[in-house]
Amino acid sequence: MSEGATSMRERHEGADMEKEDVVLRVDDLQKRFGGLVATDHASFAVERGTITGLIGPNGAGKSTIFNLISGFYEPDGGRVEVNGIDVTGREPYEIADAGLIRTFQTPRKLEGMTVREAMLVGPRKQPGESFVKLFTDPEGVAAAESANLAEAQRILEEFEIDHLATQPATDISGGQMKLVELARAMLADPEILLLDEPVAGVNPTLRNDLAEQIRRLNEQGTTFCIIEHDMEFVMKLADPVVVLNQGNVLMEGPPDAVQTDERVIDAYLGGDA
Amino acid sequence: MSWLTDPVGEFTDLTRAEQGVTLFVVAFAAFLFIGLLSGGLGPSYFLFLVGLASMYALLSLGLNSQWGFTGLINFSVAAFFGIGAYGTVLLSASSSPVREALLDAGVPGVLLNPVVGLVVAIVVAGLIAVAIGIPTLRLRADYLAIASLGLAEVIRLIVLNQQDWTNGSAGVRGIPSFFVGWPVLSDFPSAMPEVVVDLVPGGSVTLSPPLIDWGLTFGQDIVLGTPFWRALLNVSLVLVFLGASYGVLRRVHRSPWGRVLRTIRADEDLARALGKDTYSFKMQSFVLGSLVMALAGVFYAHLNLYVSPGDLDPITTFYVWVAVILGGSGSNRGALFGGFVVVAIREGTRFFSDLGSIIFDVGSTEVVISLGIEGGPMRLLLIGVIIVVLMRFRPEGLLPPQRELIWPGTVDEVPEGPDVGVRDARGGTDE
Repeated sequence: MSEGATSMRERHEGADMEKEDVVLRVDDLQKRFGGLVATDHASFAVERGTITGLIGPNGAGKSTIFNLISGFYEPDGGRVEVNGIDVTGREPYEIADAGLIRTFQTPRKLEGMTVREAMLVGPRKQPGESFVKLFTDPEGVAAAESANLAEAQRILEEFEIDHLATQPATDISGGQMKLVELARAMLADPEILLLDEPVAGVNPTLRNDLAEQIRRLNEQGTTFCIIEHDMEFVMKLADPVVVLNQGNVLMEGPPDAVQTDERVIDAYLGGDA
Repeated sequence: MSWLTDPVGEFTDLTRAEQGVTLFVVAFAAFLFIGLLSGGLGPSYFLFLVGLASMYALLSLGLNSQWGFTGLINFSVAAFFGIGAYGTVLLSASSSPVREALLDAGVPGVLLNPVVGLVVAIVVAGLIAVAIGIPTLRLRADYLAIASLGLAEVIRLIVLNQQDWTNGSAGVRGIPSFFVGWPVLSDFPSAMPEVVVDLVPGGSVTLSPPLIDWGLTFGQDIVLGTPFWRALLNVSLVLVFLGASYGVLRRVHRSPWGRVLRTIRADEDLARALGKDTYSFKMQSFVLGSLVMALAGVFYAHLNLYVSPGDLDPITTFYVWVAVILGGSGSNRGALFGGFVVVAIREGTRFFSDLGSIIFDVGSTEVVISLGIEGGPMRLLLIGVIIVVLMRFRPEGLLPPQRELIWPGTVDEVPEGPDVGVRDARGGTDE
């Protein structure tokens, strides 16, 4: 660490780790890519029932942290806990089993599938995903498939995109893909949902739709952790907001406090001058 | 059986691609039928071709369940085919060193029959698939491609050089029929009487249409003897293999299991994020495909009655890839169709040596149009041209998956799926 960074680091007060009911706890997480320190002893906690925003200037390490939490990257050090279970360095599917589901910044396309087919990938632990059960228990598979299909239809209706159900999943707009992605993630029945820039490249109308949906799902009990560049969107939705800078947690607080904090403004304006 | 009661209605329900393929298949079947009637195509040879085509269809189904379902690039089709072929003949063929060694070791000869060979071949193919999958399936797709390319050569070279097991380049002869030792079926070909089909009683009719002398003579007696019955038995066997494989693959393709594979193919990270153990799914898909390929090899050994290291040449892998891409990646029907088309080209071009020059009979003068190209090069040329034309005009293949794939019985109305194939859509993404 250079001297400048060290003096900067002194201004980092870190996140509030003293929460009561924590779904996701990130403790002293570290990751380097060669000489680049992407995540530098980052710690924060997400309390159950909240929508926690994760913001920071470009290169602050937001996406890296998401990848570390969800198991796509292997951390160099530190610890990740989901629901009190240590999932550090586990495979993404094991972390999903612990109750954490993530989405991606760019909508992932499922070529050759209709929207409802793409939705049906969501539910976890489907009996039909076992090769053997397809032949030993076809009725059970059919029953589960019917139930999942009904559930998918219900969620699509809640998201007001049920008219897209039989459209090719690749032929819908980017914003609709984001909605489908969120709807599909809900089918996986997560306890905490990590959204990576849910409204990047989405028009204002759909943006409001997404915000409403996220708020509704949150009221129904899903915990969210959201990376987003759109400040207006985050500040309206998230509480608390965790600010990352240079791979480390700068501060955490309610949106108003974050918006007016000098250190945050400094970080966004480019450094510790 | 609505195809029987209302063929026109059923036909109009099909997508354009399906209609085209249906018409083509009907026309081609009619062409072969004329060939059979005219005596230009011997019945036994015809059945041999059907067997060969079914074998390629099996190989294509196997590759399709790896590449078409999951996007696994496997360049060792010929190796798994060879494992199937050698697996069964090394146990059951009279000239096999392995069989001799086993007999010397006191294994009763009754046990060393083709059915046990089939089981052994399948098990060995499965084990090798797992062995190659363990180190490569966790890595990016390219590594499996490279490893499988190496595997194909390793297996071929082992077969070629391990002479005390495989007879090396001499190959294995003395392969029994698959049904040796079975009640009834074992003696079926020789027990059947010789049937003479006399189409036009008392003579024959020669068709001499104007302009071109096709040389077709109808009504020659067609003799159905022991070779015919043997071929018929072989074809029945491969059709059972093919039907069973197709049934299984069709079922799993439209299941939630198949849906996870298709998700992996489109975007593996998405499948992982949704809690799917993609490594396990890829392994299952890879092993499944390899087993089907080995099955094709088992059949080939008992069809051809001679197996040599040449059968493991990479050209087989190449043909099967062409078949799958031609038929439409990810479509079981496409793989079936592609397999048949590749054999039609492979075997059809044999006649090009005769047709190297076509003689038109215009009045008293003969016009000779010479193509100046032999059957072998013609085959490669034709396949090359087909690939280029296909990639240019229909990159998704002739018969890509046409419909939504949801477990049967759970949806009432099944809408038509996108007509855009996987490759086409993939070309549009930024990766």
